[in-house]
Amino acid sequence: MSGYTVLIVFVLVAVLCGVTWVAAPKENRTVWRSSVILGISMCFLMWAITYLSQLHPLQAPRRADLRPEM
Amino acid sequence: MSEKEEGVFRSAEMSLVQLYVPTEISREVLYDIGKLNLIQFRDLNSKISEFQRSFVNELRKLDNVERQYIFFKNELDKKSVELKKYPYEQEFNKICAQSDIDELTENGQLLEDRVGQLIESLYNLYEKEKSLKQFKYSVQSVDNFFKLNASNLPSSHDNEHDHLLNNLESGTQYTSEMNTSSFISGVISRDKVQVLQQILWRVLRGNLFYYTEELPELIYDAKSETKVAKNTFIIFSHGQLIHQRIKKICESLDCDLYNVDSTEDLRSQQLEEINGNLSELDIVLDQTDVALNSELIAISKDLSKWWEIVAREKAVYKIMNRCDYDGSRKTLVAEGWIPKDEIDTLNSTVKQTSNTLPIIVNILETTRTPPTFHRTNKFTAAFQAICDAYGVATYREVNPGLPTVITFPFMFAIMFGDLGHGIILSLAALALVLNEKKIGAMKRDEIFDMAYSGRYILLLMGLFSIYTGFLYNDVFSKSMSFFNSGWKWPEEFEIGDNISAEQIGVYPIGLDPAWHGTENNLLFTNSYKMKLSILMGYLHMSYSYVFSLVNYIHFKSMIDILGNFVPGLLFMQGIFGYLSLCIVYKWSIDWYAIGKQPPGLLNMLISMFLSPGTVEEPLYSGQASIQVILLIVALICVPWLLLLKPLYFKRKFDQEAKYKQLNDDSNDESLVESHEGDDDEEHEEHTFGDIMIHQVIHTIEFCLNCVSHTASYLRLWALSLAHAQLSTVLWTMTIGNAFGATGIAGVLMTVLLFGMWFILTVVILVVMEGTSAMLHSLRLHWVESMSKFFEGEGHPYEPFGFEGLLDEYI
Repeated sequence: MSGYTVLIVFVLVAVLCGVTWVAAPKENRTVWRSSVILGISMCFLMWAITYLSQLHPLQAPRRADLRPEM
Repeated sequence: MSEKEEGVFRSAEMSLVQLYVPTEISREVLYDIGKLNLIQFRDLNSKISEFQRSFVNELRKLDNVERQYIFFKNELDKKSVELKKYPYEQEFNKICAQSDIDELTENGQLLEDRVGQLIESLYNLYEKEKSLKQFKYSVQSVDNFFKLNASNLPSSHDNEHDHLLNNLESGTQYTSEMNTSSFISGVISRDKVQVLQQILWRVLRGNLFYYTEELPELIYDAKSETKVAKNTFIIFSHGQLIHQRIKKICESLDCDLYNVDSTEDLRSQQLEEINGNLSELDIVLDQTDVALNSELIAISKDLSKWWEIVAREKAVYKIMNRCDYDGSRKTLVAEGWIPKDEIDTLNSTVKQTSNTLPIIVNILETTRTPPTFHRTNKFTAAFQAICDAYGVATYREVNPGLPTVITFPFMFAIMFGDLGHGIILSLAALALVLNEKKIGAMKRDEIFDMAYSGRYILLLMGLFSIYTGFLYNDVFSKSMSFFNSGWKWPEEFEIGDNISAEQIGVYPIGLDPAWHGTENNLLFTNSYKMKLSILMGYLHMSYSYVFSLVNYIHFKSMIDILGNFVPGLLFMQGIFGYLSLCIVYKWSIDWYAIGKQPPGLLNMLISMFLSPGTVEEPLYSGQASIQVILLIVALICVPWLLLLKPLYFKRKFDQEAKYKQLNDDSNDESLVESHEGDDDEEHEEHTFGDIMIHQVIHTIEFCLNCVSHTASYLRLWALSLAHAQLSTVLWTMTIGNAFGATGIAGVLMTVLLFGMWFILTVVILVVMEGTSAMLHSLRLHWVESMSKFFEGEGHPYEPFGFEGLLDEYI
């Protein structure tokens, strides 16, 4: 796992967006294209930001209430 | 027929058409056009007042009919008779013949007369009934009074009052003195009994005898249409003058006075007579009531149909009043806006209506601004409404309603990220969507109607909340472990040790569950959500900003691209684009591996402005010079943004002025004429001063807004944190308490606390927090996003049609 995952997923998402652009139904074409592509992109962005923020964290989770057997 | 333009990225292209319709068939033609719901007619007579237009008389007649229908509707409502609804399609396919309209008018008048008469006679009958009943009760109470006191007589002392009573009862001595009766009896409404007694006491200084008795039933008052509780009263006192005064006082208090005979025989006669009258009256009253009811029921069967016909007729005449006539008054000239791709539909419809008489449809060239028409469907309509509530887009500019379809629910979801709450919201919205036909036909109150018309917004908000909740790893404030955690806790430690986990990987989708319940959980989610909101805000604003480029290209405004878009873009990207890039870059570096201190980005940005050229904690090599360059670019952009456009226009105006001077002598007359033309909208001339002021404001606004709008997106962070914390608190304070207890108490506690937790979750976390997140998302769209490209100077397209004419009445 590394930062390249984000790039690979980006390529996949871009391909998916391209497919959506071409495969959008004739009726209400603009709405389909805009909404689906925008939706996919925003979901990707949200995921990517979450993923990147945990890639090289400056903090480690810390707690005092753990018991050894758990 | 050509393929229709979608009309959602930009508003549909409109044309101004002119119709020449022979007067004989103008009603029919306009009716058919109204059924199409396509043309927004211009008012060609805007200088003529409403009362001087051609069809005032017809409209007045129809108004009168409509007034009668409103009267019927009110009467129906009083009797709570339901109107019968008509399936409109077949009934109203063809316009009603003029004779039918006349018949409706006559019919309306007849019915109004008849119903009015019935109501009036009913009113009179009720009044009569009221007075008879009150008379009856007065007689009875006088009777009662005398009986009561007669039995007391032997034991009572010989005071004057008993004496009087005796004499009265025997009806001998005083009759010559008092020509009718020596007491006054009547009926008064119960809440005035006290008042009457007090006034009489004061006026007559206690020199009277007053007796009152409650009526056993409520008396119907036809004037106020309510039932009133009343009392009978009897007043004894001396003298004619005093009697006059008492009567006046009673009248002023709305009492009804009755002459009750003083002897018992006469009273029983009176009573008999009254009872006879009353029973007769009851029969008549019943009959009248039945007659009125059957009349109203008959009306209720057809009223909505008649009303629809009359309302449509009225709408047609209103449009005809907007039209012009040619000199000979043989043809009607109408002008209106119609979507360009619907002209064929109009042509074929018009041809169908008029087989023999020619109708001419002209397409006019005009400099007027057409209305803005976005074609929407049931899915996009609500999103469009959100944007239109802020302002109607200028004709042919990029429609903000289109990206709003996704960005609005997504921005909401960033603030509302919880899988469980998202599921509740989606299910509620799904129920509305799946039953939309059934609910659409129902009558809805205001709040429910809002939820209903926004059902697709709610659905998307719910679905995206499920996604963001999944990424935040929150379901009702608990975490989920779908994948292997990227953190490993140490194997050996003592209970109570403060231990840190070790990174062994990255959690693939969403926030690592290892963070849940840790001491520094908030520290991490804070930094994550803050950066998330800055990045999302920056991207949302940049995305919106690019639409302004699309607009400039579409309107072929090169100067706006060079003088507005480019400097603005450089300014925004140079500061906030750079910041966003730094955030992502900082994430991608493993700071422990390279053994360097990770720099604080906020301090970096601040020192970029305050001490350019020095970098205390470097993020990358060559940072100082790049930051200086960016700063210089941003500084250059300000005067660029401020001056380029005004200077360009100044040059243009100067050239035009020169040109004008040269041509002034020859072209004087034609200029005057062209200015005289018409009419409702003038294309205002911009002077250099106007443009300069506008640009100064724009520059200041843009530069300040870059900062404040980015900061404004931090609300995403604040609200999502607040939402997560609130749901944690709710969990621990309600259902969290139930898990310790065992036995019956445990069962009871679990059930009760679960109920409490669930209700509070729905009411507070989903409904209240959801509303607040929605308003914040709305603001982010109206202010932060739309200010980047949206002009909003259009006027809406309101085609002439027959839909919803009666919505306010029926």
